[in-house]
Amino acid sequence: MALHRLSFRLRQTVTHVRSLHTSGCGQQQEALAVESEPEPFSVFRTQENDPACQSGNQIGQYYTLPSAHIRTLFPHGLPRRYQQQVKTFNEACVMVRQPALEVIDYLKKTDISKPPVRYVFYGLKGSGKTMSLCHTVHFCYTQGWLVLHVPNAHVWVKNCKELLPSSFNSSRFDQPLQATEWLRNFRTTNEPFLSKIKTKQRYVWTKREFTEEGSLLAELVDQGISRVKSSSDVVGAVMKELRLQSGQPESDFRLAVAVDGVNALWGRSTIKKEDKSAVDPEELTLVYNLRKMMKNDWTGGAIITTLAQTGSLYTSRSEYLPQELLGETGFDNMDPFIPVSVPNYSEKEFESCYLYYMDRHWLQHPQSHTEEGKKEIIFLSNRNPSMMDRVCASL
Amino acid sequence: MASHTSKAFLSLGRLNIAGLGLNNSASRVTYAAALSTNSPKGDKGFPQRNGRGPVRKPRREPGEPRTEKMPLDQDWTAVYPAAAPFRPSSVPLPVRMGYPVKGGVPPEKKGNLELIKIPNFLHLTPAAIKKHCEALKPFCTEWPSALDSDAKCDELFPIKVESTDFVSAGQSVRNPSARIVHLKVKLSSFNLDKHAQRKMLKLVGERYNKDTDTLTIRADSCPLRQQNQDYAMYLLTVLYHESWKTEAWEDEKTVADMEEYSWEDSPSQKNMLNVLVRMKVAGEGKGEVREQLLGIKEVQEYKDSVTRLKNEGESESTMLQYKEAVKKVLDL
Repeated sequence: MALHRLSFRLRQTVTHVRSLHTSGCGQQQEALAVESEPEPFSVFRTQENDPACQSGNQIGQYYTLPSAHIRTLFPHGLPRRYQQQVKTFNEACVMVRQPALEVIDYLKKTDISKPPVRYVFYGLKGSGKTMSLCHTVHFCYTQGWLVLHVPNAHVWVKNCKELLPSSFNSSRFDQPLQATEWLRNFRTTNEPFLSKIKTKQRYVWTKREFTEEGSLLAELVDQGISRVKSSSDVVGAVMKELRLQSGQPESDFRLAVAVDGVNALWGRSTIKKEDKSAVDPEELTLVYNLRKMMKNDWTGGAIITTLAQTGSLYTSRSEYLPQELLGETGFDNMDPFIPVSVPNYSEKEFESCYLYYMDRHWLQHPQSHTEEGKKEIIFLSNRNPSMMDRVCASL
Repeated sequence: MASHTSKAFLSLGRLNIAGLGLNNSASRVTYAAALSTNSPKGDKGFPQRNGRGPVRKPRREPGEPRTEKMPLDQDWTAVYPAAAPFRPSSVPLPVRMGYPVKGGVPPEKKGNLELIKIPNFLHLTPAAIKKHCEALKPFCTEWPSALDSDAKCDELFPIKVESTDFVSAGQSVRNPSARIVHLKVKLSSFNLDKHAQRKMLKLVGERYNKDTDTLTIRADSCPLRQQNQDYAMYLLTVLYHESWKTEAWEDEKTVADMEEYSWEDSPSQKNMLNVLVRMKVAGEGKGEVREQLLGIKEVQEYKDSVTRLKNEGESESTMLQYKEAVKKVLDL
């Protein structure tokens, strides 16, 4: 209960706290006009906003994502409900949790001369896999890696409004709309890199349009965005270039490939051809190129993925283990990978989340402030992050 | 007449009373003990004398029912020595059967057709059974003393045949479900090599229980139990012999047909080798021999974890084992 009183007092000081956020290492004292005693930090927040400096001590605590980072790094990456929460609370707070810290730890130790290691976040529905992925991606971004983020691979295998036969390979199909959207977001995230990397190959798009060897990647991406018809092939070309160039001695960037919902690449699709037969995901250009990215035949980076049952097709809701969702072919392609389990909140993490919601005045119902109410929330949500979010939303 | 009657009495006790018109008056007189000595009924009078109606058998009054004369410690097997219909005068039980009249009770046993229609087991009382057993005992031999435990019985007589007998009250004692025969045998008692065992399991399919290692063959296609028993034994023989044969088309067995996962020549092995080769190339710059790579302890652990994952299915523990193995191989 002392924690409770702590957060009460800090409510007045919250507005001051935000303006003092820094992203440097080391913990900083809040030098504010605090009423009675000098309260250093709220229990559920941490001042370590740089993922590189976070350690096991901060498990369960929230750190804030700077809004500038959100605009560039996550134009499309965050889960929808979280985006709404960010808008409501006016700040983006991410909880530091064990699975993300583990992967960040491995990433710090990666050897760029070796093939990339594949990490797969798996866990029950709503346990925080996408958020862990975003946390890891934030780390990569702050470290200066080039981030190739596919926010939801399921989007590419369903609900396709336009399907064109590919110009490059006639047995495959293009999805221009999704490709252009992805290229736009990719450009937003990786602006600084695009003007530095040069293409190594000549690409011919149509009889009159081509991209010379040695031109900037930015031009290639712009070409894809403006010429919608060839955008899927541009995506393929971009991926190929990055694959070839990362890890080479002369390039100074590292590539982080982050895919959410990687089981979509080896699952089934609901897109149908004109003769009503189903399209194999392999026949989609975007999926085909992304599969090539998933192979570890390049060097100089890492592949971080999550499994998602949420948008997946023809899988039952209770499946969450890697082999169930990836299937035989998926497993054989991803093998060997490091599976990282993302469990539900622990006691401490749950406390932290509860205090955060209290702090943000999210829990309005009078009974939610009591011990009984807390026990009810635990019972209803089973400490599952998304369930807790939904339960508390109506309080 | 009197002397006549005495002789007649003796002879009449034995004679069939189909004799018409013979000593009628004498018979009437001798059986008059229990009857009232009223004048004989006029309608049963001597037909010849009255000259009306066809010749009818003179009616004999029924005597005292046997139930009145039964002592309490009688030998019931003498009353019903074999299967016989229900005789109300021989069964001393006040049994009632039938639909009761409104406001009444079910009709009594005397003259009750319902009781006669149904099958009864009055000839199979425990005393009767005991007598049967005693009678059969001289023909029986002793249970072999060597077969004193279940385990020995299973070892020497591995095939067990089960069938069910049905008893029901109805018009017929027959029951079609009695023809079903289950034949249970443990596969470990067969002499099967690896190929034969796999083939047998594939042939048999669902009839095999992995937990108890029992093969159960259910035979119900023939109408008689004996026929089904023979058919089940025939099936067993055929299965055994077929599983030992190898057909030409068995060479076309694909990976999908395999019962368990083997790591050799699997995509997992190829991936692992690729990764290792590239890691070694990056690290030292010389190529390692394939066998050497496969012999590394970490790779063996990885192989075990993948095999376990694929064969046993997924769970947290198998996933953890896989994760640890991959971490070791990739030096994390």
